[in-house]
Amino acid sequence: MSDQPDTAVAEEADPLAEYAAGITERLGADGFSVEFGTVRVFVDRDKWVETINDARKELPFFSWLSAIDWSKETEVGEGVADPDDLVERFEVMCRLSSVTNADGAIFFATLPKDDATIGSLTATIGGAEWHEREAHEMFGIMFEGNDNLIPLYLPDAFIGNPLLKSFPLIAREVKPWPGDVDVEGLPEPEEVLAAEEATP
Amino acid sequence: MTSKELMHRSEVAVSVELETPDMTLNIGPQHPSTHGVLRLIAKVDGERITEVEPVIGYMHRGYEKLSEVRTYLQITALVNRIDWVSGFANEVPFILGVEKLMGVEAPERAQWIRLILSELFRISSHLVFMSSYPLELGATTPLMYVLREREHILELIEGVTGGRFHPNFNRVGGIKPNYGGGKQTKTQSMDLPAGFFKATLKAMDSIDQICDDIDTLVTGNELIRARTVDVGVIPADKAIEYGMSGPNLRASGVAYDLRKVENYLPYDQLDFDVISRPGGDCYDRYIVRLLEIRESAKIVRQAIDMIPVGPLQAKVPRVLKVPSGQVYSRAENPKGEFGYYIVSEGGKMPYRLKIRSTSFSNLTILPWILKGQLIPDLVAIMGSLDFVLGDVDR
Repeated sequence: MSDQPDTAVAEEADPLAEYAAGITERLGADGFSVEFGTVRVFVDRDKWVETINDARKELPFFSWLSAIDWSKETEVGEGVADPDDLVERFEVMCRLSSVTNADGAIFFATLPKDDATIGSLTATIGGAEWHEREAHEMFGIMFEGNDNLIPLYLPDAFIGNPLLKSFPLIAREVKPWPGDVDVEGLPEPEEVLAAEEATP
Repeated sequence: MTSKELMHRSEVAVSVELETPDMTLNIGPQHPSTHGVLRLIAKVDGERITEVEPVIGYMHRGYEKLSEVRTYLQITALVNRIDWVSGFANEVPFILGVEKLMGVEAPERAQWIRLILSELFRISSHLVFMSSYPLELGATTPLMYVLREREHILELIEGVTGGRFHPNFNRVGGIKPNYGGGKQTKTQSMDLPAGFFKATLKAMDSIDQICDDIDTLVTGNELIRARTVDVGVIPADKAIEYGMSGPNLRASGVAYDLRKVENYLPYDQLDFDVISRPGGDCYDRYIVRLLEIRESAKIVRQAIDMIPVGPLQAKVPRVLKVPSGQVYSRAENPKGEFGYYIVSEGGKMPYRLKIRSTSFSNLTILPWILKGQLIPDLVAIMGSLDFVLGDVDR
């Protein structure tokens, strides 16, 4: 998985990195990353359900499940920093944590855009159903084994998956965002620094 | 035939006679007990609920999408409105996450002010529960007493932040300076309104007093107990599986509080207890919240004793550009674990913001917990979960 962050980001002495390496090894996952105190464990999508179920033996608390749409082109907002190197894909993420200490990890599985299907966790985690329904309507990801993927938030007749980067924000199309003034009107950081240096 | 046997026979006869076909009962979206706009489609057999399907989304505002076109500063104004009963507590984990990404830390005094305001919002949120829950069970009196005390807390919050519900008071690297607070020097920071500490201590005394009053009015009340004890029992393993957090989880016997385990704000310097109860029923969820109000009052008193003097704002660039990175930041909201997964690609706006809202996860258990319950208990159980629909629908 070339597009994933370097697995050896943290140093040896970091207890969080040791913990992340340990849980990755115990679960037989593909790799891990630790940044800003957040542990991410990368899982093969075919082993998704199995790995999460194994992980719940030590991290029982199901916190949330969601997804990220990695796209080169975006209709709204700012795009990725380096679109040329980006592999277009979905990432499904699920956070589990302990209920006695601060341990926790976010599990990531990569799905190609043309086959956004992954196993459902609902057989063992009752709380996952709504989260999967949300990810389904927002990103169009299919969860095999969840036969209740009806829209959670959106009206039945709604067409499209709003959290996709290709989905326009209609309000913006109709009327420019008045807050734009704040965003665009401020000087660039270099100008601010120069002005600050100039003032005694 | 003894009277007992007679009674048994008559009950059998009645139940045979009154056999009821399945009926679909629609509750909401406009219903006083649904705290907003939640709709429940319940299949009932007589007085028993056989199946229930919650329908949410009436208040969906698409915050996750909107956040992708807002700068980090503008997002704090948005996230205030997720759980409007505890607006400030929603800002804290987001700001802490952005600070982690940027590598800045708020000055100590700003952290303590954040802590005090978080606890004031916790008290305010729990007081809303203390007033509305007895009301849902049929006790109308506590509402007025409790909301009167909550007003003191809201006045304090308004004095500091300028807003009663949506303070929008956090800034990356600190908090907003208080207009009219005077000039801020290194030794003295005129950030809080004059007399704030004195008024807060006085308010904490009245909070303790109202807790005593609630104890007298509600806790020991026979009717309240009959409606809540052993009703809607959620065992610990189910609560964990459904991602319930906060007082709801602690009432199921899991003493898990992010203020103790997660290293954020100076909570580690304070002496307070994590309240938990083993029962997992509606009554325990009520008791946990009542005791947490007292704990929060304790925290606020200590914090006022310990708050240092100093600056309010760390040095950050005027135009916030957050370095690339991904961070999950969470905090103990009055209702439970509130977190943000922030994906930054180095711009002025996040590439993706996942909002882990508390009430959403707390509510996923509804279909499981309501199955097999009596219709009157539905109101008692839903009220005891203390959710806000804005927090569910985002």
